[in-house]
Amino acid sequence: MQRFRRIVAAIALAATATTTVAACGGGESEDDTGAKTLKLWHYESENSAMGVGWNRAIEIFKAEHPGVEVRFERKAFEQIQQNAGMIINSSEGPDIMEYNKGNATAGLLSSQGLLTDLSAEADKRGWAGKLSPSLQTTARYSDKGVMGSGKWFGVPNYGEYVTVYYNKDLFERNGVKVPTSMAEMTAAMDTFVGKGVTPLGMAGAEYPAGQLFYQLALSKADRQFVDNYQLYKNPVDFTADPLKYGADTFAEWVRKGYVAKNSASLKAEDMGTAFIAGKTPMIVSGSWWYGRFKTEMKANWDTFLFPGNTLNAGSSGNIWVVPENSKAKSLAYDFIDITLRPEIQDLIGNNGGVPVAADASKISDPKDRKLIEDFNTVSKSDGLAFYPDWPVPGYYDVLVGGFQALINGSKSPDQVLDTIAKPYADGVKEITGK
Amino acid sequence: MAVTLTPVPVRRPVPDRHHRGVSRWVVLVLVTLGALVMLVPFAFMLLNAFKSPGDYSSGGPLSWPTEFYSKGLRTYWTEVNFPLKLWNSALIAGSVAVLGVVVSLLNAYALGIGRVRGRLWIVGLFLLANMLPQEALIYPLYYVAKEVGLYNTRLAVIIIFTVIQSAFGTYLLASVLGTFPRSLLEAAALDGAGKWTVLWRVVFPNLRPTLAVLLIFFFIWTWNEFLIPLVMLIDNQTQTIPVALASLQGDRLMDAPTTNAGALISLVPAILFFLIFQRTLARGITAGAEK
Amino acid sequence: MAASETVAATSPTATTPTPRETRRAPRGRKAAYWLYLLPGAVLFVLVIGAPLVGTVYLSLTKWSGIGDPTFVGFDNYQRLLDDDVFWASFRNTVAMIVAMVVVPTVLGLLLASVLFDVIGRRFKPRTAAALRAAFYLPQVLPVVVAGIVWGWILRPDGAFNSLLDAVGLGALRHDWLGDPGTALPAVMAVMIWVQIGYPVVVFMAALQRVDPELYEAAEVDGANWLHRFRAITLPQIRPETFVVALTCTIAALKVFGPIFALTRGGPENATNVPSYFAYYTFFKKLQVGYGSAISTVLTLIIVVVAGVFIWMQARSERRDRGF
Repeated sequence: MQRFRRIVAAIALAATATTTVAACGGGESEDDTGAKTLKLWHYESENSAMGVGWNRAIEIFKAEHPGVEVRFERKAFEQIQQNAGMIINSSEGPDIMEYNKGNATAGLLSSQGLLTDLSAEADKRGWAGKLSPSLQTTARYSDKGVMGSGKWFGVPNYGEYVTVYYNKDLFERNGVKVPTSMAEMTAAMDTFVGKGVTPLGMAGAEYPAGQLFYQLALSKADRQFVDNYQLYKNPVDFTADPLKYGADTFAEWVRKGYVAKNSASLKAEDMGTAFIAGKTPMIVSGSWWYGRFKTEMKANWDTFLFPGNTLNAGSSGNIWVVPENSKAKSLAYDFIDITLRPEIQDLIGNNGGVPVAADASKISDPKDRKLIEDFNTVSKSDGLAFYPDWPVPGYYDVLVGGFQALINGSKSPDQVLDTIAKPYADGVKEITGK
Repeated sequence: MAVTLTPVPVRRPVPDRHHRGVSRWVVLVLVTLGALVMLVPFAFMLLNAFKSPGDYSSGGPLSWPTEFYSKGLRTYWTEVNFPLKLWNSALIAGSVAVLGVVVSLLNAYALGIGRVRGRLWIVGLFLLANMLPQEALIYPLYYVAKEVGLYNTRLAVIIIFTVIQSAFGTYLLASVLGTFPRSLLEAAALDGAGKWTVLWRVVFPNLRPTLAVLLIFFFIWTWNEFLIPLVMLIDNQTQTIPVALASLQGDRLMDAPTTNAGALISLVPAILFFLIFQRTLARGITAGAEK
Repeated sequence: MAASETVAATSPTATTPTPRETRRAPRGRKAAYWLYLLPGAVLFVLVIGAPLVGTVYLSLTKWSGIGDPTFVGFDNYQRLLDDDVFWASFRNTVAMIVAMVVVPTVLGLLLASVLFDVIGRRFKPRTAAALRAAFYLPQVLPVVVAGIVWGWILRPDGAFNSLLDAVGLGALRHDWLGDPGTALPAVMAVMIWVQIGYPVVVFMAALQRVDPELYEAAEVDGANWLHRFRAITLPQIRPETFVVALTCTIAALKVFGPIFALTRGGPENATNVPSYFAYYTFFKKLQVGYGSAISTVLTLIIVVVAGVFIWMQARSERRDRGF
């Protein structure tokens, strides 16, 4: 037994020694001008706007690169989200893939040297000219992996932003007009409450609660706050406006019945289907719902920007990245370039997506056009404020927990701000060292 | 000699005088009700698997479908290339079941029959494989697999789960073999049989019912594993059914009817497997050590 | 045949070699048995041993999952001591043990006994088999799917609340998974549903092993079901009871999938468990070092609990044998 134990220990030690050495990956990129395959991964569903647009882009790519095989695979979001680092640190990864934008994802991988610097290509092919500055924020990352400045590591194709979807039929039936200011918004919601209808759909178990809180906070915020909160320019005070206003107003909306008290355990899917079913007059959520509402919803509906806000939660969509281990880099650049062409961009727009470089006048459906024009309005006025859970890794769950407590009334706004302040401070300290 | 080589014969119902009383009917009704409650969630799956997305969105998961919608099923079948995933899952779960049983048997033979020194500690050590939370293993396993060139191969997953499942198998079989009749072994030894022969000619046939139960458990447990296959199998060519199911759930949107349809057909092979082998289960997990 | 013999010798713990046994198998011949452990041992070292050492090493570092880990000594453990969320998650583990070990084992014993002793014998064995299959079915369902389906049942406008309405208990309607007060009991109920099939199948299999004459003799003596249950069923299938209780306890201590699929530990950590907390630290907060420390401590706790369990089992068996 003694001997056996020693052997086990020795083998285990040897094995770990090799594994820890293996931890440092990377490697030089080889010359890939002769690459004959392009391994391409993304995780958009086939009939979504991006799925349709990118399918077309693959066809164009094939036509322009005869003899090159495109090996496309649709991946599980969860798999990429959780394992991207492991995947592209191996030789089994793709040559080009869709990846989540932000510090904790693309930023982290870029800071570890796992993503290819695209700056030269961006200059050469004029990508910078096609994307507005607030869209470029999520394409560029500093040495430490903080977004907003530095080299290009990703290229967005589409945008997204939080807006208000409303059920026209319910509005008409209850004599409510589309609000243009916050005062009109609350008045409209009072009318619904008076008729026994909960005006605002909510899903406490997922992102919608945090996004509503952020929208409310943004109504009292300026770009400086966004830079502080998202890019750590200055410390953020959770006990003061705009965050305090956001939490207080959120609690008030729950108290007044604008938001249902029993929505704490609902998922975004539940909120969306309730809206489609015509049970909720309004939801405050992202443009990612648009395509689905368009195909599935029978009642009349439309969107309007969150009243009174110049800053809105939103950003570029996910980005194309080229792993450092990619064996077909120049093919990957060609593909990215194709996805930014007007043809593909218009296709994304005409399928209910929000293209980043499309001519809105080329979009045929007026409702689609409005979605895109609204986005362009926000984007051009530097109004994209990103999302509340972005600043630190793991903040999503912190926000969900916090706002669940606000919805079911187990905590006061001050207590909630208190619980979400510490993980934020800890996380920022991890990143900036301050 | 009490060790049976054949399954326990099915017992004839006790003569009629035992049938008196309504209490047995009460018991039957109660247990059946319990079983029906167990099945309620499956009924919901069935209800939603054949609903169109619009139907699902407007009526919710509890409504009766207005049309029989089979496109979800077809989409799932073709979009995730279900036959391939089925093959991957069957290959992995099947190999793990067989290899896990073999490794368990070899371990248990040394521990239960061979009674090697310190076996209590060895069983405890092996059980560690069962006790470790899987998320703790992921990063180191990734590096080991990458180092030996098994990252993104089905073989890696097969090896990992062979070890994890055989921990339970070793524990159980070592217990069972502790009671193995010495007289049988001695008789074989007198005939000049070596250890290897004894294992396959004497121990194995007697343990067969127990091994069959282990086989079923290993298969079903491995079939449903998610986290490690998600990490280890990144290629669509190598993925298993649960990972394919997860690919229907997007970043912010999910396709509930397709997920349901997918879940439903993904369930079928495992249920079939269980039903086919459920008679084996009846033979008893420690049948080899009877009396 | 002696029931106590089967029980006594069923655990490896109970079979400390007596001098008589050692004499029977000479030392040289015994050594050959080590060879049979070789495949298992090699695989174990590769898949469990090395990664375990790796995890312990990582727990002494600060690492985001890529690049080089920075050695930080015992910082992570220091931090763990002060982490309320971690220790609070152990309170929920106790609830998980109730839902995954205590209730399923007790219910499983009763159900298996009723299915075997009443339904299998008074009706057709086929009926018992069909009912057993129904109870086992949840074990076959992937947890991710089970999570979605139970979400439909438990949500505010879900099936359970509709049922309450239908039977006139509408006043009890509730947001079962959204209220910290009811989320844990709701998750526990789901866990019982998931878990019950395993003991039922194992116990029913075990009962096949029991000599049918025991039951018949007891019946002739006029013993009712409860008598038979206590005098025959329970003692006869004790080995399996131990196996089930130990494996379920380990499963409860490291439960992850159902929590991930149902509540992600919420609301407000009301259903958080150590394994989910570790997962969240690994893959959401990207603190692999700290996550490894959590996992190491959790593993240690599981090992201790399992050790105590095996020790108690051995002691009770030894007592049975009259030591």
